[in-house]
Amino acid sequence: MKTNKTGFLASCLAFLRDPFRMFGVVSFVLLLLLTIAPAKDYFSQWHGYQRQYLRFISHRTDALTLQRHFHGGIQQIWIPQMNVVDRCQTCHVGLTEASLSDVQQQPFRAHPRIPHKLTEFGCVICHRGQGAATTVGQAHHSEMAGEEPILPARYMESSCGQCHQGPLEGTPKLNQGRVILARYGCVNCHSIILPDGTKLQASDNPPPLTHIADKTTREWIYAWLKDPTSYSASATMPNFKLSDADASDISAFLIANSTTNPGDTMPMPATAVHSSAPDPTAGASLYGESFCASCHATQNAAGNLVGGNLGPELTNIGTKVRPEWLMAWMRNPQHYDPSTLMPQYRWTDAQLKLITAFVQSKTNPDLLANVHLSPATPAQIAHGKKLVIEYGCASCHQIRGIDKPDNFGPNLSRIGSKPVVQLVFLPGMERTLPAYLTQKISHPRSFGPSLHMPKYNFTSAQVEAVVTALLPLTDRSFELPLNLQRPAVQETHYEPTDKAGQLMTQLNCLSCHRINGRGGDMAPDLSWEGSSVQRPWLDAFLKNPNTLRPALIRRMPRFNLTDSERAVLTDYILAVYQTPAFQRDELPLSGYSPDQVEKGRQLFYSKYACQSCHIVNPNQDKGYIGPTLTQVGSRLTAAWIYHYLKNPQALRPGTMEPNQHISDDDARSLTAFLMAQKSGASQAARK
Amino acid sequence: MPNRLETYFDRLERTRVWKSIFRSGTGSSTLHNALAIQQNLFLHLFPTKVRKRMVSLSATWYLGTLTLGTFFILVGTGVVLMLYYHPSVPQAYSDVKDLRFVVSSGLFLRNLHRWSAHAMVFLAFAHMFRVFYRGAYRAPREFNWVVGVILLLVTLLLSYTGYLLPWDQLAFWAITVGTNISSAVPLVGDKIRFLLLGGHQVNANALLRFYVLHTVILPLSAVLFLAVHFWRIRKDGGLYVRQSEPGNVENSAQPASEEKKQS
Repeated sequence: MKTNKTGFLASCLAFLRDPFRMFGVVSFVLLLLLTIAPAKDYFSQWHGYQRQYLRFISHRTDALTLQRHFHGGIQQIWIPQMNVVDRCQTCHVGLTEASLSDVQQQPFRAHPRIPHKLTEFGCVICHRGQGAATTVGQAHHSEMAGEEPILPARYMESSCGQCHQGPLEGTPKLNQGRVILARYGCVNCHSIILPDGTKLQASDNPPPLTHIADKTTREWIYAWLKDPTSYSASATMPNFKLSDADASDISAFLIANSTTNPGDTMPMPATAVHSSAPDPTAGASLYGESFCASCHATQNAAGNLVGGNLGPELTNIGTKVRPEWLMAWMRNPQHYDPSTLMPQYRWTDAQLKLITAFVQSKTNPDLLANVHLSPATPAQIAHGKKLVIEYGCASCHQIRGIDKPDNFGPNLSRIGSKPVVQLVFLPGMERTLPAYLTQKISHPRSFGPSLHMPKYNFTSAQVEAVVTALLPLTDRSFELPLNLQRPAVQETHYEPTDKAGQLMTQLNCLSCHRINGRGGDMAPDLSWEGSSVQRPWLDAFLKNPNTLRPALIRRMPRFNLTDSERAVLTDYILAVYQTPAFQRDELPLSGYSPDQVEKGRQLFYSKYACQSCHIVNPNQDKGYIGPTLTQVGSRLTAAWIYHYLKNPQALRPGTMEPNQHISDDDARSLTAFLMAQKSGASQAARK
Repeated sequence: MPNRLETYFDRLERTRVWKSIFRSGTGSSTLHNALAIQQNLFLHLFPTKVRKRMVSLSATWYLGTLTLGTFFILVGTGVVLMLYYHPSVPQAYSDVKDLRFVVSSGLFLRNLHRWSAHAMVFLAFAHMFRVFYRGAYRAPREFNWVVGVILLLVTLLLSYTGYLLPWDQLAFWAITVGTNISSAVPLVGDKIRFLLLGGHQVNANALLRFYVLHTVILPLSAVLFLAVHFWRIRKDGGLYVRQSEPGNVENSAQPASEEKKQS
């Protein structure tokens, strides 16, 4: 056997001795090797997927249609203006086949319905990855410089944010993340410039620390600095992970740096602290009547937060503030903090004592039980000042003698395009930008103990939302053609003027209401309130606000306005907040013929079926979606009702009321019917 | 059958067209063979007469020929690659991607070019080592050795300029480092760097310059020096093999006779 083999080899070598034969054999081998190239082309991954697709659709009932739509070879979306060359459809063959939406097997599933056409933007602008590639690995997972891996589906909403800078209906996570970026003051340290050139503004409203000693004690500051969540679970302030000594020094500095401001505190009778009110529940009912919970949350017995988040949580407020400060604050919050959102309630002295005592009674004695600080030394105060500068406290808070630092943290305007190769990953971490951002937000100090980024008390859903809001800050968002940019609506600098303006500033109407493009979103937009309501109703409402929508928890509080103040406000609102679309007295408030009212009633109940959402007759109507209309004839002007019926969205953008394209005649009859629903008249009409 | 084929070829060789192309005429005399080589543009650089032992593998290991072979492959694939490549900053990299992902056998084409380039550098070095250790650089071949050294430099420059063309990070930084090294030359260093880059930065100008160098200037100079190289081989007495030295003739006769015995 062995001899046979060697004999065969020897004869082969002998055969190849002749250079011509050798040349021939080598050429033939080379030719064989060259066929590998076209063979590799033919057996490429995408060819395989296309063959698999054809087999896959051949068993379906819609095979013929799908086969007709199928085109073999490389498929690409090419948009030269946006530098898009996406070949994803080469493998994702059924992307535009609506009938394949039931398919689970990738890469053949149809794309879910989105508001844009696939050919409008291609794939990579939203999904990232490498559009030019035609292999699975290269298209989805490439990490090389200038290339990015595909975006996990849970961050998909972020891609909408590259063009759309304002909130969108379909992107709750992105909207929430953007709110958090502003609400938790992230942008106080990290500036974020949007593609339209505007800077993202913080909305966290951090309190000034200039007169902090008037308000609270060094012990409370220490406990708060150590862990804000121990005082209030919903604290906006993050945890800076300070050592005991550092927290003690900072608290020493803040107290020493604080100046007394006459008027920040109010001497109060000793008895007022522990209320001597005849009714022990009077304080609680005043708290409830004033709708404090619309803005402030408290923890209930079960440990759940109940209430709004516009103001700070009040669960343990008595442990924090000095009673004499609290009373002065309740009387006029703008004296201590001119930029506060809290309105001036105009309580009487008795009410002031009552509410102060009630709020002050919300304490947690355990919080400060173990805090014993030795008196501050000058060295401690100096070290505290150094720490305050080092940790950038003045980025958010106003501190006497320390200027607000510019760009304290890294600028995040283009964080979404940060290449993976430039990021530092901890061992075992997923090597993607979203994973890095998640880790950085949820465990900021895990990248090094000397970092200054504090830890926020975010849930994982909140962290995901923040990451979703950071990812759209890409280079591409800056390079978009102008016609694709959708900047957010900017807050105006509207200020109500005159005597009424002063009153509205004191009442902080804009904390909840929006007027002429500025203000909160908790309560209705008042820009055109003057065209909409009748004077007696407005006056009565300001005197004692009742609710139009019983289902809502948050209500307008009562501000104890005097008659003259109410007159000023009513005059101003009716005269100034007018829509340019019509005259408020263009239609009469009463005097409609019974025929027309009857015709309106029939239209209301049969043709337009308004009772599905609204209530006119409480005994038979069941609609709870829209406001109750039992007394609408005393509340709204006829002109407003008429024009609102004609086109609701023109007067209240985004309202749920459908535009039913009501004819002029029908609208007039409906107006007559609704104007007949007066506060006194409704009783009579029902009988 | 073989007879009929031969008569067919005989008739073909007598046609006017054949004679106008192959002008040395028919015949198999030594003079005729020499003329056949000399009158052919592609072969006239070579010696008219080559002994069989000189083309045996043991003589040269074909290193020079293989270097030339890789050069031909590089020219062939390079010309085809030029059909797909734009030397511009926004497009260069995506063209390389297209070659990889979309062009039929594009990846094969590019890899063939790349590996042949590596092979050419390796073979040129190997060729020079062999020439050096065999002592083939000595008179009368000393001029051809110098031409060979110039060809080595051209080869290295071709390899270096081609490195920038994919316009990826590797290329960018390699050229940044390389041109910074050139700026360390005393007195004229910065001028050389400026000349190479067409500016002060590795940029669109540098890409264009390196492209022109890589596809026009350097290949043309390579062809020129190759021509001189082969012409000198002929003029310096043909390929240098150990046996061609005086005193080694007897040794060379030994394998030839063995070969005859075997066949």
